[in-house]
Amino acid sequence: MSAEQQLDINAIRAKLQDASGPHYWRSLEAVAETPEFKEFLNREFPANASEFNDPVGRRNFLKLMSASLALAGVSACTVQPDELIVPYVRQPEELVAGKPLFYATAISLAGVATGLLVESHEGRPTKIEGNPDHPASLGGTDLFAQASVLTLYDPDRSNTITELGEIRTWASFVGAMRGALSAQTSTKGAGLRILTETVNSPTLAAQIHEIVGQFPEAKWIQWEPTTRDNVRGGTRLAFGEYVEPVYDFTKADVVLSLDGDFLAAENAFGVKYARAFA
Amino acid sequence: MSQIFSKSANAWSKASILGLLAVVVGIGSLLPLIQRSDFVTTANTFRDQPVQFSHQHHVGGIGIDCRYCHTSVEVSSSAGIPPTKTCINCHSQIWSTSPYLEPVRASFRDDKPLKWLRVHDLPDFVYFNHSIHVKKGVGCETCHGRVDKRPLIRQQNSLQMEWCINCHRNPAQYVRPRSEVLTMGYTPAVAQEELGPKLVAEYKIQSLTSCSVCHR
Repeated sequence: MSAEQQLDINAIRAKLQDASGPHYWRSLEAVAETPEFKEFLNREFPANASEFNDPVGRRNFLKLMSASLALAGVSACTVQPDELIVPYVRQPEELVAGKPLFYATAISLAGVATGLLVESHEGRPTKIEGNPDHPASLGGTDLFAQASVLTLYDPDRSNTITELGEIRTWASFVGAMRGALSAQTSTKGAGLRILTETVNSPTLAAQIHEIVGQFPEAKWIQWEPTTRDNVRGGTRLAFGEYVEPVYDFTKADVVLSLDGDFLAAENAFGVKYARAFA
Repeated sequence: MSQIFSKSANAWSKASILGLLAVVVGIGSLLPLIQRSDFVTTANTFRDQPVQFSHQHHVGGIGIDCRYCHTSVEVSSSAGIPPTKTCINCHSQIWSTSPYLEPVRASFRDDKPLKWLRVHDLPDFVYFNHSIHVKKGVGCETCHGRVDKRPLIRQQNSLQMEWCINCHRNPAQYVRPRSEVLTMGYTPAVAQEELGPKLVAEYKIQSLTSCSVCHR
C-alpha cells in the first residue's frame, strides 16, 4: 500500500457498522475495496516481479548458470582433507572397533519387564532386538520396545539437574529438598506426594516405602497413561489378590477373546503370546 | 568485391586446429598424471603427529607385534589405533618422565583422547575390511610398507582404486603365506610365480573386482 493512498477509515467503519454474517476479510484494503486492491488481486504476479526485459542480460544469465552447473562437479578435484583418528583413553572391555556390541537389558512398560538385546556401536545404541533367552521376549520385540531406542536420544532428556530450566548442582538439590522435606515433618508428610510410573524394581520400591514410612501421611501414586490397573482389578475380583495372569497358548486349540487383544503390543506379554500363538 | 578472409586466415585456421588438438592431448595426458601424483594422493608425505611415535623403535627395535596395538586387525574392518592405556601399560614404568611422552601422560591424566592424524585415509565411499585381507594372506607391508623402518609413518602407496584393483586382478603376485603376514622384509622361499597360484587355490582367493565389493 503506497503512502499516497489514504484509506477512508470512516467509510470502512460505516461499511462494517451494518455488516453481519461471515464475510471474512484479511486487510483493511480488502474491506475498502480500493481499485488498487482489486488490481492486486487480479494480477498473478505483483508488478515488476515478472519483468526481465533485457535480452542480452537473459543470455548472460543462462550462460553463467549453465557454466556453473557444468563446473560444479569439478569441486571434487581437491586433495582429500585431513581426517583425525581419536581412540579411547581407556577402551571399554570387549569393544572391537567396527563391530557392534550387544548388551542384554530389559524394558519396563507398565510394570512388566521384557528382556532385550541392544546393539550398540562404540557406545551408541542403534537397534533393539528381543532376547531369545528371556521368557517374556523369546527373541521378539513389540513396537514399544523398538521405539524405545529413540528415548535414548530424546533431546528433552535431562543431562543435568535443572531447577525451572536452570542447571543446578547436586548439592543445591539436596539443600532444596532438605528444606522442603523438613517443612513436611510437622504434618507427617501430609503435603508430600510421590508420582512415579509403575515400579517393578524391588530396590526402588523398598526405597520409596522407606520414605513413605518416614512420612506416614504422604502418598505414593503409581500412574502412567496405559496402566494395567484394570487387569489387576479384575484379577483381584477373580482371585482375591493382585496377580498377573500369564496365558499359555500352546495348550489351547481354540481361543475366544472378547475385546481382549492378547497379541497387542500394549498387552504385557504380547510378544510372548504372538510367538506361542504362531 | 574484396575477399572476406585475409591471406593469414589460412595460417590461423591450420594453427588453431593443430593447436586445439595439441591442447586436448596435452590436458588429457597431464590431468591423469597430476591425479596420480604424490601431491594429490598424499603419498610419501610425512605428517606430524601429536606424539612422535616411532614405529622403527617399537617394531623394528623392540619387536612389538603389530597386533599388540592394532588389536582388531584380524576380526574387524578397522585395525584400530590403540587407546592411551596401551601406551601407559609400559610407559607408566619405562621413560615415565620423558618429555616426548608428556602428551600421552596428559591424555591419560585428563581423560582426553589423543588426536592422531590419519595417514592411510580412504574416501568415505569406500569400504575396506582389514580382517579379510589379513586372513587371505596379504601382508601388512604390502600396503603399509616397511613399518619397522619408519620413524614416522608415511603413506607408501597411492591408495587409489587403480592400485587396489591392480592386486585384486592379480592376487597371485602379492599373496603370501598366512604365517608370514606380519613379517617385515619378507621374501618368498620359492619364486612368487610358483607360490602365488598355489596359495590362491589354497586360501580360495577370488579376484573380486565388481563394484559393490568396495562401494557399498
